[in-house]
Amino acid sequence: MTTAALSQPSKSLWQDSLARLKKNKSAMYSLYFIVFVCIVALFAKYIAPYSYETQNMDAILEGPSAKYWLGTDSLGRDQLSRLIFGARMSMAVAVFTAILSLVIGSIYGAVSGWFGGVTDRVMMRVVDILYSIPTLVLLILMKVIFDSLDIFENPELKALTSILVALSLAGWVTLARVVRGQVLQAKQMLYVEAARSLGAKPIWILARHVIPNIMGPVIILLTLQVPSNILFESFLSFLGLGLQPPFSSWGVLANEGWSLMKSYPHLIISPSVAMALTLFAFSYFGDGLRDAFDPKMRGRV
Amino acid sequence: MKLGLMLMIVGALFASSCTKKQSTQYGLKNEETLKINITTEPPSLDWSKSTDTTSALIQDNIMEGMVEYNFEDPDLGLKPALAKEWNSTNKAQTWTFTLRDNVKWNDGVPFTAQHIVDGWERLLNPTTASEYAYFLYGVKNASKYSRGEIKDFSQVGVKVNKKGQLVVELEGPQSYFPYLLTHHCTYPIRLDVIKKFGEKWTSPENIVTLGAYNLKIWEHDKAIVLERNDSYYSTPAKTKNILAYMIPQVSTAITLFETGKIDVQANLPSAELKVLKKKKEYKESGILSLYYYGMNTKKPPFDNINVRKAVAHAIDRKEITTMLDGGQRPMTSWVPPGMFGFDSNKGAKFDPSKAKEFLAKAGFKDPSKLPKIDLAYNTNEDHKRIAENVQAQLKRNLGITVEIKNEEWKSYLGKLKSDTPHIYRMGWVADFPDPDNFLNLMTSYSDNNHTNWGNNAFDDLIKRAVSVDKKDDRRELYAKAQQILTEDEVPVIPIYSGVSHILVNERVKNYPMNVMGRRKFKGVVLK
Amino acid sequence: MIDKLKGLAFPALVFWLLCLVINSFMGYEMPSIIGKLTLALVFGSLIFYIFKMRLFSYITQRVLESAFTLFAIATLTFLLLRVLPGGPFDQEKTLPPEVMANIAKKYNLDAPMYVQYFDYMKGVVTFDFGESYKYIGRPITDILVESIPASIELGIYSLILAFLMGIPSGVIAASKHNKFGDRILMFFAISGVALPVFVVAPALILLFCYKLGWLPAALWSGPQYYILPVLALGTRPAATIARLTRASVLEVIASDYIRTARSKGLSNSVVLFKHVLKNSLIPVLTYSGPLVAGLLSGSFVVELIFAIPGMAKHFVQSVSNRDYPLIMGVTLLYSALLIISNLIVDILYSYFDPRIQLS
Repeated sequence: MTTAALSQPSKSLWQDSLARLKKNKSAMYSLYFIVFVCIVALFAKYIAPYSYETQNMDAILEGPSAKYWLGTDSLGRDQLSRLIFGARMSMAVAVFTAILSLVIGSIYGAVSGWFGGVTDRVMMRVVDILYSIPTLVLLILMKVIFDSLDIFENPELKALTSILVALSLAGWVTLARVVRGQVLQAKQMLYVEAARSLGAKPIWILARHVIPNIMGPVIILLTLQVPSNILFESFLSFLGLGLQPPFSSWGVLANEGWSLMKSYPHLIISPSVAMALTLFAFSYFGDGLRDAFDPKMRGRV
Repeated sequence: MKLGLMLMIVGALFASSCTKKQSTQYGLKNEETLKINITTEPPSLDWSKSTDTTSALIQDNIMEGMVEYNFEDPDLGLKPALAKEWNSTNKAQTWTFTLRDNVKWNDGVPFTAQHIVDGWERLLNPTTASEYAYFLYGVKNASKYSRGEIKDFSQVGVKVNKKGQLVVELEGPQSYFPYLLTHHCTYPIRLDVIKKFGEKWTSPENIVTLGAYNLKIWEHDKAIVLERNDSYYSTPAKTKNILAYMIPQVSTAITLFETGKIDVQANLPSAELKVLKKKKEYKESGILSLYYYGMNTKKPPFDNINVRKAVAHAIDRKEITTMLDGGQRPMTSWVPPGMFGFDSNKGAKFDPSKAKEFLAKAGFKDPSKLPKIDLAYNTNEDHKRIAENVQAQLKRNLGITVEIKNEEWKSYLGKLKSDTPHIYRMGWVADFPDPDNFLNLMTSYSDNNHTNWGNNAFDDLIKRAVSVDKKDDRRELYAKAQQILTEDEVPVIPIYSGVSHILVNERVKNYPMNVMGRRKFKGVVLK
Repeated sequence: MIDKLKGLAFPALVFWLLCLVINSFMGYEMPSIIGKLTLALVFGSLIFYIFKMRLFSYITQRVLESAFTLFAIATLTFLLLRVLPGGPFDQEKTLPPEVMANIAKKYNLDAPMYVQYFDYMKGVVTFDFGESYKYIGRPITDILVESIPASIELGIYSLILAFLMGIPSGVIAASKHNKFGDRILMFFAISGVALPVFVVAPALILLFCYKLGWLPAALWSGPQYYILPVLALGTRPAATIARLTRASVLEVIASDYIRTARSKGLSNSVVLFKHVLKNSLIPVLTYSGPLVAGLLSGSFVVELIFAIPGMAKHFVQSVSNRDYPLIMGVTLLYSALLIISNLIVDILYSYFDPRIQLS
């Protein structure tokens, strides 16, 4: 929807933005890095030197060596392999959750902001209520429900679904608030007024005029959301509501490593570096996107 | 904006450099204060109501029971505390306790046997709703009183006789009965104090106790200070103050230990033991406890006895204890070492080829034909490590795939009650050092038996053994019971017997370390 | 008149917060009259503003709405708790049924659900939240009253850090868009959100307490104990605020009236801090509503790692313990905090940007 909406106004705008993005070095390097991480995640099986679950009881908690480049964990598993396989889970969680909460959040927020009045107030109070209900209670219930449903045969998918849904449910609320604010603002703008007075259907106006114009803040928020999803997943592991073992994610690794920081720093350094780099990449890429597509920046390369 | 700037400058000028300091030590002198970490806020210091170990640690130091453990005795006997002596008549069914007459509460009131009766009445009273009420269900009519079927407490089998002795009559013979009296829920209590202050009677300004220490300060979620009780009836405590901080995070606590802010840190993370073990401050001691995996014997394929046997034979306990590296003892039998009835010969020993035979016998020559198997544990780094190792072992030794299910604690308990998973982890720590406490667990009428397994012969053996006097006869009965439990029927797989790990600063001498995990600090000396 | 008051109120607030910091970190007791005067100025101008703009009916309406929201939250939470697996008195050593029955009777858990619900609601209206199941015999209000101060202290200092660091660095970064200053500030800002608190906090302890020995590791008792937890808790919001401010300042800078102001020859910093900042605070304000409520109610991880006797642990532990009354208590407290701070934020919207109309 977004690319269509953006490419429709004029081809030159789309190309213009793309050109600006390409000129932004830090954004491009970040993009390369994200693509690299995604490739590593997708082909983890072929890249990782060991499996994420192979235990070596003779090499428990060893520091980096020629055999284990990043050392081993408390079960003698190769930290590098777990990091590589972890990228798979973490990226899946981060990206899918962001998309899910984006879809729910923007639809909800846009509807609330567009109709305003009583609809808006009721919808926002619902958001308030959802925001206040103890997250932990919701998460536990979610896990129970998904465990009993047992939809997927693939254990990896099974482990992921409840986390995905839980995180998206937690994430869409913030997005809905922001989108609503932006829609409220955009509604007042001249070109929207004009379209309205011409009798255009609200959905068409929303899709054609409003949504493209609120992309900026939403992109920023998404780039903040993606890493915070990765972090939140680690908090879930910390509470025991996260990924089921023996699967690995950066959150799981960070959670296993942080309390052993003093004795075994290698356990926490590698997931931290991976998380931080990915986060920098997403942030810089997001900034680049924002700059490139910002209507106000047009012509200022 | 300019005005704001001016105001800020004025504010900065106001600042002077004298630092106000609050003390973390509550003005206590370091050389006469033992600083420990009790991890969390004790949920309650009301010893009839609390059920957790943190509260128990404080209660054991401010209060005393009629008897206490004699940890110097290799057989783990009892020694007198509030009771001078005791004896049983009528085949261990009636017990008489002669109490000391020189004991005073710390408000000067003399201690009498009636205070014990008061404590037991309060414990059993249905309106108190104490979780440990069942501890005294062995006493005649106690459970009926607790259920509200009897309203008159004088019908319950505990009385003060004319000589001021406490006479206890039991429902049936119970050779281990005095051991129950080491537990805080059986301690004496002052009803007048409780009546006067209501729920607030446990706060430092109200509480009345008779142990070696007095409760001096209780800052919720922060610290508790105990001070030597100078009117204690026996040898006064050697160290004047106990300062118990509540530091939940182990890594923080270890930093505090290493910088000398606390003297003792227990509950060390197992993954870090390899490093901590090298310290001269490191100590470990066995605990009468058992870590085990149970199996739901009603859920296929574990309804098949041969599948259970195959799994039990396929787990190398030694590999687990080597991995944990904390001195835990691998177990195939049920009663832990250090306890009467321990028999390491019993149980399903690690033997992969035998395991495969059993699996074939069960009709699963091809392990992939097995239905999906869940292995559940509650969230905890150690449980997770063990579960992941067992998962790998079963894959390697038996070729079967199990799926690990990690559950948050209460959900886990809920699941054990409603729908026990194929394999689940559990633990048991001795309430009293008698095999009955462990074997009773797996009887068909036990609330703690989540395996859905029941065996009449086993139940009979356990019931019979309690009333047997001769030690050798009892030992034989328990050996038979363990044979049924861990070799013939195998509803459970014992894994290891636990150890407590602890860091103790070298200035601390005589820090209490024992198999029951009791921590009474009256003998601790600071150098 | 109103403009003057508004002009004064903001610096006065900053001044008051600074005094607070000086007060506790440097031990200087500020004459209380100054503190009271500045606070009076801040609140006075806010109340005067409400009065002037005739916001009373709006506020009454919002309060009524909030009451309904709180009621809905209480009801929904109550119901959700009852379907949560595992009961409050389930434990490793299972209790015999007769003991369970006594407990259920004592805590009214054997009554039909609707009776329990009405009893609870009756209590809530009179601010009686019942007794904790876990901390046997302790009233919920006592537990909250005792644990709130530490959380509020930690929260306020973290907020000060977040705003005093976040907003200026956001503005400066935006004014140097894509230049060196911007890059270095944003590098720090992204670093601030790059790692989870539970990695940052122990790392701080390792560095400052263990390796350097400059600061105490834990045990909340005095200013030097506050520094690390505040750093751990405040950096993240500071970084987020910096990024938000930067983004919105960038948008405002590009707008027509700022170009006009610039072309009038006003100095760069005046334009930036007077005109631009005022108009870019709206997104930061939106973010501040939940942020204030979140920080004041504390952080579970920070409290855990630094052993702070605050209330945040109750948010997590009460759920783990299935301590129903305590869960309800903390949930309602948090909701009230959130509603109040959102209300203040909404009023501040129109305070900062008179074009926004409250109705």
